[in-house]
Amino acid sequence: MIPELGYGATVAALLLTLWGTVAAAASARTGRAALLRSGERAAVGAFALITACIALMIYAFLAFDFSVRYVAINTNLGTPFYYRVTALWGALEGSIVLWAWMLAIYTLIVVIRYRRSQPELYPWVLSVMLGVLAFFLLIMTIPAPPFERLTPIPADGRGLNPLLQDAGMITHPVALYLGFTGFTVPFAFAMAALIVRRTGEEWITITRRWTIIAWYFLALGLLIGGWWSYHVLGWGGYWAWDPVENAAFMPFLTATAFLHSVMVQERRRMLKLWNLSLIILTFGLTIFGTFLTRSGIIGSVHSFTQGTIGYFFLGFLALVLLGSFSLLASRMERLRAEGVLDSVVSRESTFLLNNLFLVAATFTVFFGTVFPLISEAVRGVKISVGAPFFNLVNIPVFLALLFLMGVGPLIAWRRASAENLKRNFLKPVVAGLVAAAALRALGVANGLVLTAMALVVFVAGTIALDLFRAVRARRRSGDDWGAATWGLLLRQNRRYGGFIVHLGILVIALGVAGSQAWSVQKEVTLDKGQSMELAGYQVRFDGLSASEESNHAKVTGTFTVTNGRAGGYMLYPAKKFYAQEQNPIAYVDYRLGWIEDVYLVLGDFARDGSHATVKLQVNRMVSWLWLGGLVLTFGAALAILPDARRAA
Amino acid sequence: MKAPALKWAIPAAVVPVLVLLAYGFRTDPREIPSPLLGRPAAAFSLTTFAGTPLSLEDLRGKVVMLNFWASWCIPACYDEAPALERTWRAYKDKGVMVVGINVQDKEAAALEFLRRFEHSFPNAPDPRGRVSVDYGVYGVPETFFIDRKGRVRFKHVGALTDEIARRQLDALLEEPS
Amino acid sequence: MSRRGKFAAGGLVIAAAIAYLIWAGVSQSVVYFVTPSELLAAPTPSKTYRLGGFVQAGSLKWEPKSLDLSFTLSDGKASVPVRHKGTPPDLFAEERGAVVEGSWTTEGYFKASLIMAKHSEEYKAPPDGAEPGYKELIKSLRGESTQ
Repeated sequence: MIPELGYGATVAALLLTLWGTVAAAASARTGRAALLRSGERAAVGAFALITACIALMIYAFLAFDFSVRYVAINTNLGTPFYYRVTALWGALEGSIVLWAWMLAIYTLIVVIRYRRSQPELYPWVLSVMLGVLAFFLLIMTIPAPPFERLTPIPADGRGLNPLLQDAGMITHPVALYLGFTGFTVPFAFAMAALIVRRTGEEWITITRRWTIIAWYFLALGLLIGGWWSYHVLGWGGYWAWDPVENAAFMPFLTATAFLHSVMVQERRRMLKLWNLSLIILTFGLTIFGTFLTRSGIIGSVHSFTQGTIGYFFLGFLALVLLGSFSLLASRMERLRAEGVLDSVVSRESTFLLNNLFLVAATFTVFFGTVFPLISEAVRGVKISVGAPFFNLVNIPVFLALLFLMGVGPLIAWRRASAENLKRNFLKPVVAGLVAAAALRALGVANGLVLTAMALVVFVAGTIALDLFRAVRARRRSGDDWGAATWGLLLRQNRRYGGFIVHLGILVIALGVAGSQAWSVQKEVTLDKGQSMELAGYQVRFDGLSASEESNHAKVTGTFTVTNGRAGGYMLYPAKKFYAQEQNPIAYVDYRLGWIEDVYLVLGDFARDGSHATVKLQVNRMVSWLWLGGLVLTFGAALAILPDARRAA
Repeated sequence: MKAPALKWAIPAAVVPVLVLLAYGFRTDPREIPSPLLGRPAAAFSLTTFAGTPLSLEDLRGKVVMLNFWASWCIPACYDEAPALERTWRAYKDKGVMVVGINVQDKEAAALEFLRRFEHSFPNAPDPRGRVSVDYGVYGVPETFFIDRKGRVRFKHVGALTDEIARRQLDALLEEPS
Repeated sequence: MSRRGKFAAGGLVIAAAIAYLIWAGVSQSVVYFVTPSELLAAPTPSKTYRLGGFVQAGSLKWEPKSLDLSFTLSDGKASVPVRHKGTPPDLFAEERGAVVEGSWTTEGYFKASLIMAKHSEEYKAPPDGAEPGYKELIKSLRGESTQ
């Protein structure tokens, strides 16, 4: 019953979106409003049908309906309640449904917000969005249908991959997809602007908040992914330059570039071609990322599965890239800059450099990810490119970007005078150098860490300097420090939201630098009662115990951790035995701290509990990554506040 | 002043990237060979669900397709079951034997599975799990192709398709006894 | 030089620097995929390899106290002795596929810095686990009889 209903709803939604794409476009060309209304109704109908699909799927999960193949593969009778709901996006087919649903919601928002306010652009925006939605519905209909039937109906399902039974895995895809799908809107507006030849700053101004929100969710998704990797996978790291990680990182880089370069276009009416190319590239990279995860052309620990789905994605990617870039080329004469770059020492130039580096980083990541393909195609040699490559190229680039992050917001437009440079940067530069010297004196020898720290202090100094001066100016109208600061943040929320986001990036940068430079680890086999020592911590193995949970059995090691100071604590790393998996899955136990985390992984152990092999890691400053994410949240929230707050 | 054709370089630049990605579909992942390939298949002596004896010795001289399955193996065993039966019906008169070994299953569930898929080739449970161990089976489904001389020639992991079965059986049938 | 010329030159310098870094990075960190036969045909101590094969029965030795792991990887034609420091990953056992990353030593064995065990998403393991069954394991840890 459910498979048939669900499949029917999917097909109906596909037909509606196909019609809506055509109707909206036709209404734009012929001016017939009835067609546009029809297209809008198609969007509403598609949203309702996709929501119905989700509801049907969740019902099937909760009712243990193993006649639905997707339910039978991804849950079993022992799967806990909340994972039965979130298993919806635990595998390929369901993840496409989630993507489609988010697109449908965004399309509805576009309908409500812009049908009156943007009469010229709106029909084309709607058409593009419905077209993209139609593609994902096509995926749901042909290569990856979520509502396939399984006959005969098995007595029990297979079960959710234990690595996905985690809070991070519940939220990571949601955040990531909110980011990916969010970029469809600026892309649609860019296409609309090109089609109707309104290639000014309008489409940028309209979509500014969309871009910030999508960028934020992408950042959040990446951070949650890092957190999941860190606390579940047992290697103590949060980023591996895995092809699928890279696939999500690339649109993040180009979106960051885009966020900045549009400011130059808004101010100086330059970089029009560049900005349009960037948003096309960003959207294209979100499709490429999905393609990479699902086509199996590049091996990765993340890959979902193969089949024909790769061909569909490659075809759509080709259509999107060739179509939009051709459209761009055909409107080239309208994209000439109205301003010129006056000086290398200017805000325009800084933003341009920022873009150059971000695009270079994107290219590097792309190149490293597809290089195995190139090597095989050209030389027939199978290779892979590991983390050292990405680190070698990207670290200098990111350090340069840190520097630019300090320069950009304060340097003058058009041409910065020597006076302007001295006023804005002398103190922060000195502060950075002093910080580096101080760290050096304290014994930090790692050149990269010193550079990173110096840059962080420099950037923080520029932010503090600007904030201080601005608040001091406001105070002249009589406010106290608190009210002046608050008023300033609200009044210029775009600027200071951006500053807070930069601060968040600084915190993350510190976390990355510290954790890479200063984390230590040690693996030892301990007899019962024996202790090991690392970085001032003593870890004693107290014993093993066994237990049975709803869908797995568990062997838990008991360890006492002390560090010579007040009070110790216990850690319980375990091995979980899931019925549907061939081998046990390690369950990491850890204790987070502001400065360092203690992290314990249980390896091999004796059946009689007499000894256990354990890996102890003392990871420094990893918590700063998550802290940075929190700061990012505040910054983004401030930046998207409505402009109605025009305080006196 | 840009030459009029130069602007089309932008969309054109996309094409080589797409071609490279398309090439990716052709590359095969490296398969790790089974340790059993080329070695004599382990002997076994079981009783089918129907009560008749089933031993590998008796099948010497025929090409044998040995399939390990279970009713709880979702979705792969369900996906391949029709292909197994089709292959059996197509090749039973050509000197091929299709044999199913049921792994760590409950009898009622296994019989129901066989009934639903209308398997007409012999299927036997492996009560002590010895046959699975002998064949290095650590997941289901796995299918072994054994030649007329009793050697394991090919192992397929995951759901079997008609094409794969046909290809292996045709190749082994061509060999002299 | 005109202003545009200066910008172009600056951009080119940066692009060249990055291209150099990419080239250096690839040369340094490229990892070659080989089978045991391919490795033994031309083992080069300076290269990083990813060696794939199956773990030969009877070759696995694990010393919990010293964390020394040694085994032989084979592709049916050639065998390579491998040594590793540290517990093997969860999916690692004899007569199963594994991929190791590391380098060839002049002493005649492969030093693995990373072990990745292969595992297909396509199929399921028996509910009671591979031998020894995990239910038995739980029982023995609880001190119960495993008869």
